[in-house]
Amino acid sequence: METIQYLMDGFAVALTPQNLMFALIGAFVGTLIGALPGLGPANGVAILIPLAFSLALPVETALILLTAVYAGAMYGGRISSILLNIPGDEPAMMTCLDGYPMARQGKAAEALAISAIASFVGSLLGTLGLIALAPILAKFALSFGPAEYFALFALAFATLGGITGKNPAKTLVAAVLGLMISTVGMDISTGTQRYTFNILKLYEGIDFILAIVGLFAISELLLFIEHRMKGNQERIKVGKLQLSFKEIIRLIPTTLRGGVLGFIAGVLPGAGASLGSFIAYTVEKRVIGSKGKFGDGDARGIAAPESGNNGAASGALVPMLTLGVPGSGTTAVLLAMLISLNITPGPLMFTQNAAVVWSVIAALLIGNLLLLILNIPMIGIFVKLLSIPTHYLLPLVTMIAFVGIYSISHSSFDLGFMVAFGVAGYLLRKLEIPLVPIILGMLLGPEMEKNLGHALVLSDGNWLALWSSPLSIGIWIVAISGLVLPTLIGKGLRRKMQADVKQETASLMTIN
Amino acid sequence: MSRVGDRLLGLLLLLLALAYGWSAQQWPEPFGSAESFGPETFPTILSITLTLVSLFLMFKPDPDEAWPVGKSALEIVMAVLALFVYAGLLELLGFILSTTIAVSFLSWRMGAKPLHAVLIALSCATGVFLLFNYLLDLPLPLGF
Repeated sequence: METIQYLMDGFAVALTPQNLMFALIGAFVGTLIGALPGLGPANGVAILIPLAFSLALPVETALILLTAVYAGAMYGGRISSILLNIPGDEPAMMTCLDGYPMARQGKAAEALAISAIASFVGSLLGTLGLIALAPILAKFALSFGPAEYFALFALAFATLGGITGKNPAKTLVAAVLGLMISTVGMDISTGTQRYTFNILKLYEGIDFILAIVGLFAISELLLFIEHRMKGNQERIKVGKLQLSFKEIIRLIPTTLRGGVLGFIAGVLPGAGASLGSFIAYTVEKRVIGSKGKFGDGDARGIAAPESGNNGAASGALVPMLTLGVPGSGTTAVLLAMLISLNITPGPLMFTQNAAVVWSVIAALLIGNLLLLILNIPMIGIFVKLLSIPTHYLLPLVTMIAFVGIYSISHSSFDLGFMVAFGVAGYLLRKLEIPLVPIILGMLLGPEMEKNLGHALVLSDGNWLALWSSPLSIGIWIVAISGLVLPTLIGKGLRRKMQADVKQETASLMTIN
Repeated sequence: MSRVGDRLLGLLLLLLALAYGWSAQQWPEPFGSAESFGPETFPTILSITLTLVSLFLMFKPDPDEAWPVGKSALEIVMAVLALFVYAGLLELLGFILSTTIAVSFLSWRMGAKPLHAVLIALSCATGVFLLFNYLLDLPLPLGF
């Protein structure tokens, strides 16, 4: 019952006119960002952080804005999947399978509407799950000591590559690089200058916002220049919406299944939204069996993965808010936001910053409702915006990145530093080193070091203290299996995911 | 398929790990702190981890990705230079002028018609400038 009281307080904050307006702006901008091919949610939130920061918004408002962007981007991803067959981000990949064929059959409007409704239901289920699960997990996490936290951070890195991740060694490289960057600057406890090379700028460490924007946004531009897309995509017309109430009712079981599966996948460390939508789609295909026309534009093939990936997006907030350990790229970026607003995520946040947490959760619910309302009548606008050629779009996104960084630092040096991070990000992506663990390393590094220090001081320098309690041993076991399992079963699973996608696209080709 | 990329990466990471770990050992012992955990402890752990992983990468490299060569490599280098120049000139030339130059150059190199690129870049730069300076109260440099 306490939870409901908190949630009501959250609604009171989120429903003030100013916050509501920012939620609306965020939802709109987020949908746009998600809809544009190549600009995923992590990118979008990253570019907007410096702006939200330099506008000096109140903490709640800034978080509501960015949460709405996050929710919006998850919605938007489906638009380019359905209309262009280009997923805006990885989780939207499964939506292409039935969404694009349906659009080609002249039912683009229906496909978009179904996906909007499924996204809404998935998010709603996920957020309800978050409300139910987060306080319990936060209470449980209060019993964690420094050793458990240290193990938990290791777990976050080990599982970040995910079950579908490619080379765990490269995930580890990325994590260590991020942690190394986090050690630059003055050591908090002793004041020792570490890796500053007597450059004054480096004394206070490397600003992670600058690094995030560089690594994501600038490297995206460079990758695009390398690949130089053909651009001549077949334009699909969005006709008049003809969706009967009965059809929506028929999709309810599919949507509910997808949302629940997605939420579970989102909460689990290392699974994330991609796996959420994949599992939702595969399970649905198995449940329906040969009665469905999966791959040829079955409405259930849109509803399941969409509700799955939105459920997972909310689920991924559970570990991020309660433990301070994000499970996906986008939540890692949201974590950056929290840290830059001076809020330390983790179990204490639920007691110390209860108002902030619950207004964010309320904003998530309101944002989703806004998105559903926005999306059905305004779909035409988003479709129009999709036709802006990328060769204008990406340079303009780069400009926004420059404006954002400049408005927090007012320094050309920082802009150059951001570009340098962008070049590094491009090279790392070419070497297949994932960027998210780098970000996570930069964010979690200071906390990780602090907890290691505390654990060692408490035990008088006995390293065995790091794995002495049953809980910490358990976490270490999960962490190690998270790193080892992908090499054993990940290859097969990844191959199956790719084979599925390939097979469906192949059958699509033969139809046309 | 060649596997040079990862071997080279592994070698560079190994050098980085050794340099990073070595310099951590050079820091003066902080006065009066607990000897079990100093400023060098965490970096030392990181250095050891990276050393091990970089050796692993050198012995078990992945196949190389296709790297851009010739013209597209040149385009990337030009874009990077343009971005650095943009960063350097922003305060000197002011936001509108430097943004117009940088954005239209990038758009043009990415396939837009030159005149269109300049017009779009100029109008967006002016729009953003007005929006930030007057509506959002975040001053961008006027230049000169």
